[in-house]
Amino acid sequence: MLEPKQMSRAVIVGHKSIFEETVDALHKANLFQIEDFNEDESGLLIGRPFENVDDVSKKLIKIRSIASLLGVKDVGSKKQDTKSVISSLDATLDKLDAELDVKAEQKSKLEAELKEIDSLKKELIPFANISLDFDLYRGYEHLSVFSGYVKEDVESAVSRITSSYEIFYDAKESTMVLFVTKDKAAEVADLLAGFAFREFRIPNISGMPSESLSSITSKESGLLKQVKAIDEEIESLKDKYSDFILASNEVLSIEAQKSETPLRVATSDSTFIIDGWVPEDEFVELERIVKAATNGRAFVSKQEMMKEDVNIVPIEYNNSKMAAPFQEIMDLYARPKYKELDPTTLIFISFPLFYGMILGDIGYALILLAMAVGIKKMISSDAIKPLMNILIYCQISTLIFGVIYGEFLGFPLASLHTEHGVTEGLIKGFATVNLLASPVADEMITFPVHRTHLVMTMIIATALVGFIHINIGYLLGFINENRKHGISAAIFEKGSWFVIEIGLFLAILGYAAMLPSVTTILGVVVFLIGFVMLLKGEGIKGPIELPSLLSNSLSYTRIIAVGLSSIYIASTVNLIAFEMIWQPGTPIGGATIFAIIVFLFGHALNTVLSIIAPGLHSLRLQYVEFFGKFYEGGGRKYDPFGYIRKYTEE
Amino acid sequence: MVTETITAMDPSGLKAIGAGLAVGLTGIASALAEKDIGSAAIGAMAENESLFGKGLILTVIPETIVIFGLVVALLIK
Repeated sequence: MLEPKQMSRAVIVGHKSIFEETVDALHKANLFQIEDFNEDESGLLIGRPFENVDDVSKKLIKIRSIASLLGVKDVGSKKQDTKSVISSLDATLDKLDAELDVKAEQKSKLEAELKEIDSLKKELIPFANISLDFDLYRGYEHLSVFSGYVKEDVESAVSRITSSYEIFYDAKESTMVLFVTKDKAAEVADLLAGFAFREFRIPNISGMPSESLSSITSKESGLLKQVKAIDEEIESLKDKYSDFILASNEVLSIEAQKSETPLRVATSDSTFIIDGWVPEDEFVELERIVKAATNGRAFVSKQEMMKEDVNIVPIEYNNSKMAAPFQEIMDLYARPKYKELDPTTLIFISFPLFYGMILGDIGYALILLAMAVGIKKMISSDAIKPLMNILIYCQISTLIFGVIYGEFLGFPLASLHTEHGVTEGLIKGFATVNLLASPVADEMITFPVHRTHLVMTMIIATALVGFIHINIGYLLGFINENRKHGISAAIFEKGSWFVIEIGLFLAILGYAAMLPSVTTILGVVVFLIGFVMLLKGEGIKGPIELPSLLSNSLSYTRIIAVGLSSIYIASTVNLIAFEMIWQPGTPIGGATIFAIIVFLFGHALNTVLSIIAPGLHSLRLQYVEFFGKFYEGGGRKYDPFGYIRKYTEE
Repeated sequence: MVTETITAMDPSGLKAIGAGLAVGLTGIASALAEKDIGSAAIGAMAENESLFGKGLILTVIPETIVIFGLVVALLIK
């Protein structure tokens, strides 16, 4: 439960004639992790990929480029039979490729035409309002033509230079076309320069500009329609073939993976040696599978695990199904190492516990529970599911603490007795029951627990919870250290903390006169023994960390502190909505609606905060305060040779 | 005739100011510490996403300062 799965190192040896069958069987079994072979002095060489690798990877590239061109998305579809996919693969792929080629060619042709039309249109627009056939713009022997932009009408200025001219001016586009005799051309050009003249190219077509413009506009819209039609055809190709693309991509990926396996394996002239890892309880199964696939011609043997192997063993969690979602939280930090304890099961208890202690509100618990269950039902993603499961566990804990605290969306459920009188709770007649007097700060422990009126008691209680949690951490650290470096290292490094704690307790109890005063001295002596042990175990780092005993415990007071901030936000929203804006009992009107809107928005905001704040703080207590005491991590993920099929089946 | 008026400050007001200062100042302190660590952690995560866990831990370490501030404020109350 607190250990990762036991692994065995296995070596599979056989003649090259059964190489493919062996790889096939291993791939199908999906439980053997191949350890990559690096060439050394042993004389063994890295193998050569199987023959079909070129063919497979060529097809794979084609399929993937088509998939990205069509934008095929991963969707759940019916699983197809691998054999039928393979048999129809070549023909269908060629057909699809040809069809797509035709469409793509048509489309690029149309797009080129569109581009041409677009540039022609840009040239035409300035001339649109000048009704002069484009044929009349050129082919003169004695005339110069100026066509272009001017900032104002230049007719009067031109008429001063020459009387033999012809001008067309469009004030809207500031376009001018001017015909003058060639001998005056230079003079007119100088004049035009003063009017910010910029020449326009005359489009190389004939006919009236306005007519040409409308004709190419209609041509453009026709082309756009055609492009759209082709896009639709491509889209229909996608709908028609996406199942095929997904399935064949999967089949080919599997084939490619298999074909490239020899690159990870040691070979001699006629044999192969596959080295790797298998979970210990699966070893027999592995042996059986390999023997069955090769008629007993390949040999599977278990290797003894060497000391240096411990750092490279792939790690597979071994948790109950209930606790498994919390492996995500472990992975976020680091996977445990092989000889290390796997604290997933402890996190499974403590993470929701702290989360619930912080939030502790029936209303938010129900909202978030409904949300988590809904999302889990709607989204079948493997990445989301564990997170939603964690959220569900957290909300169950929140619900329990919500009942203990008697809170619903920031309203107290039970009535509250203070010096200022009795405040009625949300449930009429549900009175708070006094249980016992708290040993600190004259507070009364009641049911339900009113956190806002038990602050001191709760601070002490949460620090105490922290102290216990930290000590569980030290205990785990002791076990880890014992496994890694032996019992004496464990006693000095981790056991010394317990000695120090006992010493401190004795000293404090003696000082507070709960025990005879001689225990103070005894406590100090025990503390000093622990201190020296710590110094020996951890070196100078130990004493530096000594104050963390206090600061880490106090860090757990965030459980009440963050919880109070959440209550205050919620009750402030309630106050604004149902005291300031509208009071229940007064006539219902516009203010009622406004109050309800404020209420909904305020609590929506606080619901979001209710995931983030308690989640992060609870996580931090695990990662920093708890893991810091024992956990190292850094294990390699167990990733067996194989493929989890989504679109095909054998 | 001279009359002396003695003004006494309400101790609960002073307490409230003290509590406010405790939360406010420690909040600023946490923010100052976290901004540097946070930006560095995001930089590291951009290089290697698996550093999220470590980055988160390092970023929230100074958070303890403001929690202590909050606890002190509650104690003053």
